[in-house]
Amino acid sequence: MHTITAYTSHTEVPAAVAELQDQLKLVSQPKCVLYFASASYPSEKIAAAMEEAFSGATVFGCSTAGEIVSGKMLKHSIVAMALDQSIIGDIVIQAVSPIEEQIDVSSVFSVFEKHYHISMRDADPTQYVGIILFDGLSFAEERWMDKIGNATDVVFIGGSAGDDLKFSRTYVYAHGRAYTNTVLLALLKPNCKFDIIKTQSFQTLPQQLIATKVEEAHRAVIEFNNKPAITAYAEALGKSIDTVAESFMSNPLGLMVGGEPYVRSPQRISDGKMIFYCTIKEGMDLQVLQSSDMIRDTREAILEKKNEFGELQALINFHCILRTLDLESHGLTEEYGHIFDHIPTIGFSTYGEEYIGHMNQTATMLAFAA
Amino acid sequence: MEKGTIKQMIDRIILLRSCGNSAIAVTVKTKIILKGINPDKYTSQTDDDPQIIRKLQDLADEFGIRL
Repeated sequence: MHTITAYTSHTEVPAAVAELQDQLKLVSQPKCVLYFASASYPSEKIAAAMEEAFSGATVFGCSTAGEIVSGKMLKHSIVAMALDQSIIGDIVIQAVSPIEEQIDVSSVFSVFEKHYHISMRDADPTQYVGIILFDGLSFAEERWMDKIGNATDVVFIGGSAGDDLKFSRTYVYAHGRAYTNTVLLALLKPNCKFDIIKTQSFQTLPQQLIATKVEEAHRAVIEFNNKPAITAYAEALGKSIDTVAESFMSNPLGLMVGGEPYVRSPQRISDGKMIFYCTIKEGMDLQVLQSSDMIRDTREAILEKKNEFGELQALINFHCILRTLDLESHGLTEEYGHIFDHIPTIGFSTYGEEYIGHMNQTATMLAFAA
Repeated sequence: MEKGTIKQMIDRIILLRSCGNSAIAVTVKTKIILKGINPDKYTSQTDDDPQIIRKLQDLADEFGIRL
């Protein structure tokens, strides 16, 4: 078999890793083993044990706020996927820490360039794809994605690591180690066709908000439409300031690109400012959004790619924790899991999703064709 | 007041950065929007705004292209 997914809920690391090893053994020579582990597992132990268990493969992953595997959404588990050379022709990973203010993408890319004998500036985005995993508490995602986008046309897709909503410490895993304050970049040269699925479930409302005063570093908007941010947001929704925070989940804002929103989700109110889960730049026009049917929209997005590819051989799903919370609140996690019943899938509930930029309330997925 | 320079600059950035590849051009446009400039807001009749022009010059530098 070319790819297999596995999961375990054993609480002890040796038993959990042994179970994953057993489930993944039908991929005789995995080129890559990707895994996402609940923050309930001891980070250093899980990283070391996974590296040892799959020593012939490139092994990497991160901590989560919930896990996804074909047909299921899980908690307090580990999910893993083994992919052989027929899918992943080559892969090289780098863990970059600390995540500095001064981001030196060229030195990171020079490692990829030496390995593949290419220039990242000219690399063909139909031949290469990147996976990027962030320490989910780093606040560094936008700056890194911007610098990466300046330097290459290769798409990097991924997510920000979670810690079961404790917001205390998140990890990326590589080289048998657990890293904090780190970004992990993998550059893959797949041996099959691949593409990105980006799906979010919102309708666009006619109301627009222009960010007229912001604090980018704190992901804060001080003013929309030259009014205190929360006042303008409440007015746009026709609600009172006292209760408008209840609408944050169902009415985030969208930076519109070709009619599709790059979602910016409000997190909280602080002294009249609105704090978001990702940066809004001064002057940005944002559309007020209204949540719609996530199950239907996700199913359609997957079906569309399936129809295009014939069959999906593997799917990696970076799924916003806010979507997971929304599904949980409506009792829909089982139904969401079933969307991936017959597709080899792993994923996790993220603290932010990456695709060209950083976004919220979205699922970004890397799909490999059969 | 002069008009249309902003649109010209944006079109040139997208053309040069994508080398005429239409798929890459879509991605470049997305990157420009994420950087805070919406190309669809500017036409050949838009008044030149020195602040936006400066921003676009910086953006071209970031992309490693000369306008």
